[in-house]
Amino acid sequence: MNFAFTAEQLGFAAAVRDVLRDRCDPSDRLSCWKELAELGLFGALVPEESGGLGLSLTDLVPAIEETGRAAMPGPVVETLVAGPYAGVVGAPRVSLLVDGLALDADLADLIVDVAGPSIVSVRLEPRRAVDQGRQPFAATVVDELRVLEAPAADLVRKATVGVSAQLIGVARELLARSVAYAKARTQFGRPIGAFQAVKHQLADVAIAVEFAAPLVYRAALSADNAALSADRAAYSADGKDTGAPVGLSRPDRDVSAAKVAAGEAAALAARTALQVHGAIGYTAELDLRFWLARTWSLSAAYGTTAEHRTRFRQAVFGS
Amino acid sequence: MDLDFTPAEQAFRAEVRDWLADHVPSRLPSMDTREGFEAHREWEALLAGARLSVVSWPEEHGGRAASPIEWLIFEEEYWASGAPARVSQNGIFLLAPTLFAFGTPAQQARFLGRMARAEDVWAQAWSEPEAGSDLAALTSRASRVDGGWLLHGRKTWSSRAAFASHGFGLFRTSDTRHHGLTYFLFPLEDVTVRPIAQLDGTHGFAELLFDGVFVPDDLVLGEPGQGWKIAMATTSSERGLTLRSPGRFLATAERLVALARDADPALRDRAARCLIDAEAYRLHTFGAVRGELGATTSMGKVFWSELDLRMHALAMDLLGPAAAETPWFDGYLFSLAGPIYAGTNEIQRNIIAERVLGLPR
Ligand SMILES: Cc1cc2nc3c(=O)[nH]c(=O)nc-3n(C[C@H](O)[C@H](O)[C@H](O)COP(=O)(O)OP(=O)(O)OC[C@H]3O[C@@H](n4cnc5c(N)ncnc54)[C@H](O)[C@@H]3O)c2cc1C
Repeated sequence: MNFAFTAEQLGFAAAVRDVLRDRCDPSDRLSCWKELAELGLFGALVPEESGGLGLSLTDLVPAIEETGRAAMPGPVVETLVAGPYAGVVGAPRVSLLVDGLALDADLADLIVDVAGPSIVSVRLEPRRAVDQGRQPFAATVVDELRVLEAPAADLVRKATVGVSAQLIGVARELLARSVAYAKARTQFGRPIGAFQAVKHQLADVAIAVEFAAPLVYRAALSADNAALSADRAAYSADGKDTGAPVGLSRPDRDVSAAKVAAGEAAALAARTALQVHGAIGYTAELDLRFWLARTWSLSAAYGTTAEHRTRFRQAVFGS
Repeated sequence: MDLDFTPAEQAFRAEVRDWLADHVPSRLPSMDTREGFEAHREWEALLAGARLSVVSWPEEHGGRAASPIEWLIFEEEYWASGAPARVSQNGIFLLAPTLFAFGTPAQQARFLGRMARAEDVWAQAWSEPEAGSDLAALTSRASRVDGGWLLHGRKTWSSRAAFASHGFGLFRTSDTRHHGLTYFLFPLEDVTVRPIAQLDGTHGFAELLFDGVFVPDDLVLGEPGQGWKIAMATTSSERGLTLRSPGRFLATAERLVALARDADPALRDRAARCLIDAEAYRLHTFGAVRGELGATTSMGKVFWSELDLRMHALAMDLLGPAAAETPWFDGYLFSLAGPIYAGTNEIQRNIIAERVLGLPR
């Protein structure tokens, strides 16, 4: 039992953070892609013998959080999780086709239909984007190009954990920006952050993020273990680890718990950030909108917060 | 990062689980009655006999030097088994860490073993009628006499004091607000104890009246004037994992899930959501045990107290009028106090905002 990240895991995240801080522009859908590819981020889950870093999703969670923190646009999570199956190392981008929608498909070199899973060629039709950094397309499969050796459940599970980690990063950044603004903005002759009503809202965001993050870390571990083991039963045998699952498999249950908690924490962070910023937050003049929009788009990705709440309930109660 | 327990930890879990399965008493009367208090003391003496009453303490004082992870395992098993809340909790969870850090070897030898066996039960005497959240405003005084001190004043809301044998508390020894406080240990026999009835009708806490109670020098904890510093070390234990162990909330959440099994989906959703939070609190604690507690205990305090309230409020919704006949109702009343004791949640949010987030005072 050691529920902490290693120095290497945190070091990789710090390297990613440095690149993002210097180079990431949330309004440029491809900013930073090349630099992060050079760090090895996009092949991170690919085995070393195939030219990747051979890391696990758990190893990467802190780095993925950083991409959320920076509101990095583009199909980051999709490329990461599909990489090991599609043989993607280097700079190519992958989009996942889920329920007829493919995100950032116009930027992608490969589109993986998770229903296959297979690499497909598609016809695309842009849909309204709430988030400039995540452009959805309605995609119709024209041709199936190559069937992948991937369990579809594994792809979706890992993508869900990935966006949950990004939601944590988004929430942390929204909190940091709100705190900075609350210290700088004065009204009635005091910084607004000296008012208890403002303090308490921000404290609640800090609490929500603090307790959502460990669920995301556990979900990453569960998703890694599920991929390693064909024997699902291994995960329900551990009776004392918060009770045996009834419906969904243990990893799916953990993933849904993570998505719910991360989605709710980010929603609270976004709502609070907007309130603390007042009207300036409602304008397009402030960068805040990139993080607000990211909250909305990630919350809806790979199952909404409400859908995962229902899935978790079904996992616990069987219905 | 991993969530697997070592073979030694698993063996410890199995030992604890088996022992509890054989020994946990069926429901005891409330510890806030004379009869229940004695029944709880007997239960804790039995625990101590198996060296399970204070597993994290050094062996010389009755513990087994369990690691923080083992301590968490113990707590999970303890609460899952249906064992009762600890009548000694203020002593073992609040005073003991302070005694280990600031007590003299003589004080440790004199009090810790007896505390571990529930021979002495300690009450915390901090609050005063005019000093709750603003604890440093307290006015009870200790005046110097030959060989010791005389305590004067009035303390209130002291849990378990109606039946406890000893108290620990802060008294003013000079007028400088924070630096004028001294930490005293005292037997309750010379103190006038006035039980105070609580919402549930039991005498869960009491008022303590000091009318020149003599305390010898060797019952000062730390140096005179250091009381505030020492007390603040204890508040972090109070809010933090020592008292509010994740096992307790996890066990409640699992019972809630069982209670909600046949309820409609909206109520089942609420129960499932509570389970997510209980799991979050457990995982967070696994991540936190190795590090400093510090101000993050304030985050935990707000989180567990609100979770506890949510769980018990849901139980009230699930049970309807029948709730009053069940232990859930006592749990509900106690959960209402969670946001008040151990530093109110408003005060905790101030601490988080100022010390964690760095907002101006
Ligand atoms: C069940 C229970 C057990 C207890 N056990 C013990 C015990 O064993 N020993 C002991 O010494 N004490 C004990 N207490 C007392 C407890 O520590 C105090 O109740 C607590 O510190 C709050 O003080 P108060 O009740 O005087 O409330 P007050 O300080 O009067 O506060 C009343 C309200 O005002 C709010 N408030 C006060 N100041 C501020 C501020 N600066 N900003 C925002 N809001 C503020 C509070 O949050 C609260 O909501 C116990 C209390 C309970 C309910």
